[in-house]
Amino acid sequence: MTSSKTIVLRSSDGATFEVDEAVALHSLMIKHRIETGGADSTTIDVPEVTGNTLSKVIEYCKKHVEAPNSDDLKSFDTDFVKVDQAVLCHLAKASYYMNIKGLLDLSSKTIADMFKGKTVEQIRETFHIKNDFTPEEEEELRKENSWNLFV
Amino acid sequence: MPESNDHFTPYPDHVLENVLENVLAFLHSRRDRNAVSLVCRSWYRAEAYTRSDVFIGNCYALSPRRVTDRFTRVRSVTIKGKPRFADFSLLPVNWGAHFTPWVSGMANAYRTLEKIHLKRMSVTDDDLAAVANSFPRFKELVLVCCDGFGTAGIAAVVSRCRGLRVLELIEDEVSDDYVDWISCFPADGPTNLESLMFDCVESPINFESLENLVARSPLLKKLGLNRFVTIGQLHRLMTRAPQLTHLGTGSFSPPEQPEQHEHHENDNNRVSDYVSAFASCKSVVCLSGFREIAPEYLPAIIPVCANLSSLNLSFANINAEQLKPVIRHCHKLRVFWALDSIGDEGLQAVAETCKDLRELRVFPIDATENGEGLVSEMGLLAISIGCRKLQSILYFCQQMTNAAVVAMSKNCPDLVVFRLCIIGRFSPDHVTGEPMDEGFGAIVKNCKKLTRLAVSGLLTDRAFSYIGQYGKLVRTLSVAFAGDSDIGLKYVLEGCTNLQKLEIRDSPFGDSGLWSGLPRFYNMRFVWMSSCRVTREGCLDVARQLPRLVVEVFRRDEEEGGEKSDFVNTLYMYRSLDGPRADAPRFVNIL
Repeated sequence: MTSSKTIVLRSSDGATFEVDEAVALHSLMIKHRIETGGADSTTIDVPEVTGNTLSKVIEYCKKHVEAPNSDDLKSFDTDFVKVDQAVLCHLAKASYYMNIKGLLDLSSKTIADMFKGKTVEQIRETFHIKNDFTPEEEEELRKENSWNLFV
Repeated sequence: MPESNDHFTPYPDHVLENVLENVLAFLHSRRDRNAVSLVCRSWYRAEAYTRSDVFIGNCYALSPRRVTDRFTRVRSVTIKGKPRFADFSLLPVNWGAHFTPWVSGMANAYRTLEKIHLKRMSVTDDDLAAVANSFPRFKELVLVCCDGFGTAGIAAVVSRCRGLRVLELIEDEVSDDYVDWISCFPADGPTNLESLMFDCVESPINFESLENLVARSPLLKKLGLNRFVTIGQLHRLMTRAPQLTHLGTGSFSPPEQPEQHEHHENDNNRVSDYVSAFASCKSVVCLSGFREIAPEYLPAIIPVCANLSSLNLSFANINAEQLKPVIRHCHKLRVFWALDSIGDEGLQAVAETCKDLRELRVFPIDATENGEGLVSEMGLLAISIGCRKLQSILYFCQQMTNAAVVAMSKNCPDLVVFRLCIIGRFSPDHVTGEPMDEGFGAIVKNCKKLTRLAVSGLLTDRAFSYIGQYGKLVRTLSVAFAGDSDIGLKYVLEGCTNLQKLEIRDSPFGDSGLWSGLPRFYNMRFVWMSSCRVTREGCLDVARQLPRLVVEVFRRDEEEGGEKSDFVNTLYMYRSLDGPRADAPRFVNIL
């Protein structure tokens, strides 16, 4: 019997989302909170996640909870991660924090695919990462990689 | 999902934080992981923590300690040791590539190690015992072209490693310690064995134990038998393991002393018995062995031919007439290895049927210079016409023509590996009398994906200018008895910008050719030059200019002291992060 109970999730920037409890439980973090939280835990704070990201996470959970056996689940997933790199990273972090394995693996794999074939500089640029090696360190590591651990 | 986070340090970049390790679980290629490791310090740490497969292309390029310090949770290690010319006895026996320091380094660091893959390493029985004792989760041991161990070492591994799934001994030299290793598998219950290959082990095997082992190995897919297993015994094993996909057939002949009730007339019955054995092994896709083949039994494999993707007859001295009835069924064949006993006619038969062939290797029965030429340019041409998808070829012959090689370069544009070994030294095109320059030139020019090349025959500097000009993707180049002058070597070292491995023997290249490679040597895995014209002074100069290059000079006959001639007998040089090795034997000079 499907519970008609709803849960409110509150993002870091104060946005609230009302979701079916069954959908919310797809996040093991929320499940744990509910189980240990006491009788009136109908509003759960998710301070690690902004409203935009939380909205997307909920969309994922809804689909996977309400139609787990549907034929278009795979294409849903594929389309779901056709987002820009920043959104993808937020999704990955949110799913890690909220303990949603399916979404974590999906977003992780997509990010990994973005690394493939790229040079170091391209990866830094795509993900806006600052290089904190000294030139000497970097040179030594390049040698370590290519002198021994390469094809 | 998030486990204990003790190892995490706060990341200066907030892009991926704790998620990076999860992401890296989906990144497998070395090249990609190497790139990730250089992005920034925290990414370096995350990558090092999550790399589970470590590949070491030259065991002397770095110390075991450096590997275990950097990568702390390794499941699988692959290490390569001696240079390939060791296979041709060009490397003295005690030269090195010892596995011992690696296994002792890893024993402490990698408690969860599952797989070890070694190529051309010296492995002792003590090393194998250390493997057996140090890694409780050990699952896979693959030893290729290794030596230094015996059946006692194998016994240690199989008796103690209860989770063993894969034991593959491929072209190793295994000493016979008179230990019945096959009986040393734990006696009780089913095994986890998926692959057991011991084709190269030159000692008799306890068949009863082997049969018992196979019968209680329900997961066994690959079985490679040595020549001490007769065809009758093979039959019994096949009925025990109809699920096999890869089969090394052992001797493929009856025992020398016929059993009591055997008559010659029963041979036909025998063949049909074996035919039905093969018929019931519906999953076999890869066949090898045939180590002492009685050719009349070869047709027994016909039931599996239609599904075969790989057939290795390189130990089978059979002729074209014996090959044809079998090969004409092998429509799906992708890999074919054979002896030149099949002749040009046999190759023609291959070309007619095996339209999907990707890899061909033809080995010589007689590798001496004046041997009978059983295959020639005709066979090569036939293959090039019939097997358009060919990617890799190794072809030994006594004679060749430029025309046939040029034809192959045009008919087989997908070639990645082209190794032509014209056995007679300095052999020209036997029809025109010209050098083989144009043939090899066409190969480097037309085969745009070529990464590995071996040349032979009469070659002038022009051939090397072609290689330098067009061989931009070539990573491995093998030269024997070829070339005119140092210019040839210069062309190659300056032109082949992706060259990683250069092995040269008995060619007139000297110091000035060698020096032209100075800007490249740090970007190469190794350079080997034996019986060439480099001097000790020339090698010393290289060593002085490139301090992180280990420059080894030695004599093949292991004599120390002064050279007998002006030229260095063998030069083997390679880059190293951790300086020259400490285990060099006395006859090796490190400059």
